[in-house]
Amino acid sequence: MKQEENAAWSIFGYLLSGLLFWGGAGWALDHWLNTRYFLLGGLLLGTGASIYVIWLRFGRQ
Amino acid sequence: MKGTLNLVGFGLSAIGPAIATGMIFAAYISGVARQPEARSVLQPIAFLGFALAEALALFGLVLAFVL
Amino acid sequence: MRTLHLLRADGEGFVPPSTNDFNLPPVFGNNEYTTKPILLVFLSVILISVFFILASRKAAIVPSKLQFAGESIYGFVRNDLARDNIGHEFMRFVPYLFTLFTFILTNNIFGIVPLLQFPAMSHVSFPYVLAIFTFITFHYIGIRKQGVVKYFKDIMFMPGVPKAAYILLTPLELATFFIVRPLTLSLRLFANMFAGHLLLLVFILGGDHLLKGVIGLKLISPFAFAFGIGLTFFEFMVQCLQAYIFTLLTALYIAGALADEH
Repeated sequence: MKQEENAAWSIFGYLLSGLLFWGGAGWALDHWLNTRYFLLGGLLLGTGASIYVIWLRFGRQ
Repeated sequence: MKGTLNLVGFGLSAIGPAIATGMIFAAYISGVARQPEARSVLQPIAFLGFALAEALALFGLVLAFVL
Repeated sequence: MRTLHLLRADGEGFVPPSTNDFNLPPVFGNNEYTTKPILLVFLSVILISVFFILASRKAAIVPSKLQFAGESIYGFVRNDLARDNIGHEFMRFVPYLFTLFTFILTNNIFGIVPLLQFPAMSHVSFPYVLAIFTFITFHYIGIRKQGVVKYFKDIMFMPGVPKAAYILLTPLELATFFIVRPLTLSLRLFANMFAGHLLLLVFILGGDHLLKGVIGLKLISPFAFAFGIGLTFFEFMVQCLQAYIFTLLTALYIAGALADEH
C-alpha cells in the first residue's frame, strides 16, 4: 500500500512541475515576443515530458 | 458579487478527471483484491491511467489561471 | 441568489466571509506580535508539552489512561509513519516527525475547538516555515548520505534515457525536487485549513443572518446551522488527515533521500 501512496503523490508532483516549468517558459516567451501560441505549446510539452518521466519511473515493469 | 467564470469552468471540467481517477483506482483495487499476483502487471497501467486523468485536471487548473 | 435579494429588500445586506476574516486584530493593545494565530501557536506548544510530560512522567507497565493516549499517538507516528516508510534507519527521524505531527494536529484542531476556533495553519506563513524545515531536512540528509555530486546527479540524470531527453527532463526533475515539493506540501495544508474555516464561516454566519430575516428565512436557518455542525465533524476529519499527510510526505521525502537510487 505504501508504494502506491508514494507513487500517487509523486505523479501529482511531476505533472505539476512539468506544467509549471514548461508552461511558465512558454508564458514568458509569449510575454517577451508578444505571441499567443508558445503558452499552449509549453503546456503540452510539459504534460508530455511529465508523462514521459512518470512512464520511466512507474510505468516500466 | 465579483469573480471569474474561468473558475466555474474549471470546477465543471474537474468533474471528469475526478470520476476517472475514482474509477481507475476502484478497478485497480478490485483487480488486486481478486488476484494479488496480478499487482505488478496492473500497477503501471493504473498509474499511467491516473497520470493521464490527473494531467487533464491540472491542465484545466493552469488554463483557468492563465486564460 | 434569491435569499440574497430578499435580504437586500429588507435593507440589510449579507456580507459574505472573505479573506479579511483571517486578518485578526491584535489581542493586547497595538502589539502586532500578539494576534490570535500567534497566541494559539504558543498555546499549542504549551498544551503538547504538558500533555506528553504528564503522559510519560509516571510510565508503568500497566499504563494509565493518559499514558495509553500518549503512547498510542507516539506509536502511530513511530510505527505507521516512520518505520513503514523510512526503513531501518527510522529512529533518527522519529523526534522530528512526531513534533511535526502533534504540532500540526493540535493547531488544526484548534479550528473547531469552541472559543478558540481558528486554525493557525490557515495563515500561509506557518505551513511555509514547516515546509522549509522539511525541505532543508531531506536535502541535508540526502547530501550527507550520498555526497553532493552523486545526490544531484541522481536527481538530474535518470538512467536509461536517451541523451536528448535530458533537455526536457532535467529542469522538470529539478523543479519537482526544489520548488514543487515544498510548495505543494505547504499549500496543501494551508488551502485545506483556509477553505475549511471559510466554509464553516459561511454556514454559521449565513445561518445567523437568516435568523434575522423574515419568518420564512427563520425557518431555513436551522438547516444552515445543522449543516454547519455536520461540516464541523467533516472538518475534524480533514484536519486529522492533513496533519497525517504532511507528516507522511515528510517521511516519504526523507526515505527518498536516503534511498540509493531514486
